[in-house]
Amino acid sequence: MKVLMFFKHTYWIILVTLSFLLGYTSSVHADGVVVDKVYHPYVLPNEREVEWRLFSAKESKNNKLGQRFSYGQSLTDTLMLEFYLVGERDTYNDFSLTSYEVEARWMLTEQGEFWADWGLLFEIEKQQRKKNWEVTSGVLVEKEFGRTSLTFNAFVIYEWGNTIASEFETEFRLQYRYRYLEQIQPAIELYSGENYLGIGPAFMGIQRFDGQKQLKWELGFITGLDRRSKGHVLRIAVEYEF
Amino acid sequence: MIRRFPKYYTVFLLMNLLFLCSFIVAAKRPEYHLALKNHLFYPAQIIIPANQKIKLVIHNHDNSVEEFDSFDLNREKVIFSQQKSIIFIGPLTVGEYNFFGEYHPNSARGKVIVIEIKSNQDIPYQMLSPKQGGLNVN
Repeated sequence: MKVLMFFKHTYWIILVTLSFLLGYTSSVHADGVVVDKVYHPYVLPNEREVEWRLFSAKESKNNKLGQRFSYGQSLTDTLMLEFYLVGERDTYNDFSLTSYEVEARWMLTEQGEFWADWGLLFEIEKQQRKKNWEVTSGVLVEKEFGRTSLTFNAFVIYEWGNTIASEFETEFRLQYRYRYLEQIQPAIELYSGENYLGIGPAFMGIQRFDGQKQLKWELGFITGLDRRSKGHVLRIAVEYEF
Repeated sequence: MIRRFPKYYTVFLLMNLLFLCSFIVAAKRPEYHLALKNHLFYPAQIIIPANQKIKLVIHNHDNSVEEFDSFDLNREKVIFSQQKSIIFIGPLTVGEYNFFGEYHPNSARGKVIVIEIKSNQDIPYQMLSPKQGGLNVN
């Protein structure tokens, strides 16, 4: 019966088809930053949020710096839309707006109902000056093991534009989190893609306020694992939900 | 646009198989009901068997929205006014798991008590009778 119910929902069929298509068309070249946030496949209705993310990558002498500011709002019980402004520091140490982005997160299954929880992510980004574009489709999976949660993100990215070659990329992100306390949840994160493989510790937590208001924080320190992935990346994310 | 056969094809294939398997292995869950009235959960305690996934149906009889929240259970769910929401819990180990309503955290509180059940005779009588009303918070 469950299998029959499954086929009644067209978006699940779309997911399977899309996922197969992504599997057949992906390749492994890329130009962007791999270390970012590990997404969870959950959406709550009435959710609104503002978020700030910072990435600092230490390579040899200089460090790259990127920041993202976003506003997000859930449109339905299962769909969340977020708008990003992305800023980066260039080689002259000038910080400026480099791109903007729209992202949709779609919760496919109810949390805990099936063997794992599933979601999808779609994202379109435009680099402001260089007129480059990037379209991302991703699958978000989370599985609970007692007080720990394993989250996996798989993305296929297609990019094109004036200053980059048109190409497909793949990215994978993994997070294994221990829900120790609400405010402090240690985790291990792994990032792979764009000739990069990095792993490192992360900490995250939630501080609740009145009603739906809450502050979420994340801090990660990712270290490159091989010759292609030298240096360290510090990532910070602070999100206020209201 | 299709450039070449992918390096990570097997990962995506595995994800598809896992996704399909998620639905195939889904079984009918034991169902438990909670009601939310005047910002109190009724019953405020529910007893469920260990190591079993259950379906918790929460009816919100109030005229305001509430959000079921539990860090212990790792669940968050919005329950709209005069509607019901479904939350899947478990499988859990023996213990007590607190939950509360985010909009009325002082009154809308309760707990899920997980016990080892071998047969119906193993459940003490007083645990079967629902405890009405919210838990007192000092």
